[in-house]
Amino acid sequence: MRGYRALARATARAALAYRFSLLLGMVAVLVQLVALLAVWHVILEQSPMNGFTWPQMRAYLLVAFAAGTVVSILGDFRMAFRILDGDVALDLVKPVDYQKARLAESLGGLWIELALISLVVGVTLAVTGGVDLPPGPGLALFAASMLILVPLKFLIVYVSTLACFWTQNFMGVQWARLAVVNLFSGALIPLVFLPGWLATVAQWSPFAGLTSTPALIFLGQVDGREALQLVAVQLGWVLVLWFGARLVWRAALRRLTVNGG
Amino acid sequence: MRLYLRLLGAHFRSMMEYETDFLILAAATVLMQVVNIVFLSALFAKVPVLNGWTFWSVLMMFGAVALAEGVGSLFFDGMWSLAWQINRGELDYFLVRPYPVALQVSSAALGINGLSNIVTGGLMIAAGLAHSAVDWTPWRVALAVLLLLSSVVIKVSINLATNAVCFWLNSPSPMFAFAMHQVGDLARFPLSIYPVALKAVLGVVLPFAFISFFPIAYLLDTGSSQWVGLLTPVAAVYCAAVAALIFRRGLRRYESAGN
Repeated sequence: MRGYRALARATARAALAYRFSLLLGMVAVLVQLVALLAVWHVILEQSPMNGFTWPQMRAYLLVAFAAGTVVSILGDFRMAFRILDGDVALDLVKPVDYQKARLAESLGGLWIELALISLVVGVTLAVTGGVDLPPGPGLALFAASMLILVPLKFLIVYVSTLACFWTQNFMGVQWARLAVVNLFSGALIPLVFLPGWLATVAQWSPFAGLTSTPALIFLGQVDGREALQLVAVQLGWVLVLWFGARLVWRAALRRLTVNGG
Repeated sequence: MRLYLRLLGAHFRSMMEYETDFLILAAATVLMQVVNIVFLSALFAKVPVLNGWTFWSVLMMFGAVALAEGVGSLFFDGMWSLAWQINRGELDYFLVRPYPVALQVSSAALGINGLSNIVTGGLMIAAGLAHSAVDWTPWRVALAVLLLLSSVVIKVSINLATNAVCFWLNSPSPMFAFAMHQVGDLARFPLSIYPVALKAVLGVVLPFAFISFFPIAYLLDTGSSQWVGLLTPVAAVYCAAVAALIFRRGLRRYESAGN
């Protein structure tokens, strides 16, 4: 346990040492927030659409921004390079579990990300006006959903990064993942706007848990049993991916060849 | 020119050695554009127009950004490794060769993802034009080509300028340039939806709006300030000059890592 805590602290320290890079890394998610806020402001000013009013869409986009920002510090690129360079061999001899160690590293930067999220959400609300909080039970479920989002997002990034054992081209894998996550999570556009069949696929995919589920619960667009069911799906995917990742890892190790040493 | 293509050709051959990698990258960029198109069609299924812009005209803007980006990756991808080369002192090799340093830097890599972006971007522009009511005269065709070329020049110039900032930043990764590249994504939507400060940034400071919004607004006769689109070639010349200036200033600051 102490080893994992040390890894987590190292992430935070590295992130704080390269503060400028940290902020630049947030630009992509921030740009999407600004662009979509502007687009929906123009559209929803006249009339609500698909059950979304302008304040609701604003809240939705802020949740999407928060979800897009957590677990993004120092993650995949470092792991990818270590696999591609063969440095991963050094990780293998360490007396910690590889998957848990990477999780610990991802969690280490969480408090910094939360601080940045609060800042951006605070500024946005100050500029564009407040949002309505859901009633007590909804808020609790939203918090639970955001909590589950953290391991879920880690696992999706982790599994896709393991692809580096099979291909040299991490960029391509990362781009493809970003594109799929952006659409299927509802970060780009709420899932109800998609054609029915696509929305259904997205709804049951692991990606919906990355934005759509917590956002809809926050807005109160789903409640009661339906909300619980969405969170259960989210949790189910965490379990599936956690053990699935172990299988992928085992297969990956069999492919690993490291030159020199 | 011939030398430049030869340098790129060498990269192309080495890239073809890894066929799956090439396919993954091409597929990933196509996928990104498909996601954009799905997003736009889902959005415009409910709203016919966004500040006077239809689905097809916004699609054209997405296409213009993709196309300009594609040319930047396919022919000038080496710019993105400038930060790394400065950090490692590898620029020394370029300095002793009798060929412009900026060209050597930009030909140091070839991003095959550019090819798929050029194709998909081109298709998006073509689809947008096919659904527009532009009445084509030879003069208008020539103007459209000029606007397109200018928009590509602007994108490549901004890439060079923002990457050359690494001469001052001492960072081994092109994070700054990449962040600015992301800002450019804002210009895929009509500029009129943004607050004034953002309009100023996209129109003047980092003139991404001249890649897509202004030239297309002029061409399609949409929006309120179409004449600005005619300034696109001027903006292109201006961007290229500023980029060259920044690069030259930066190069003068360059200190090797000591080989």
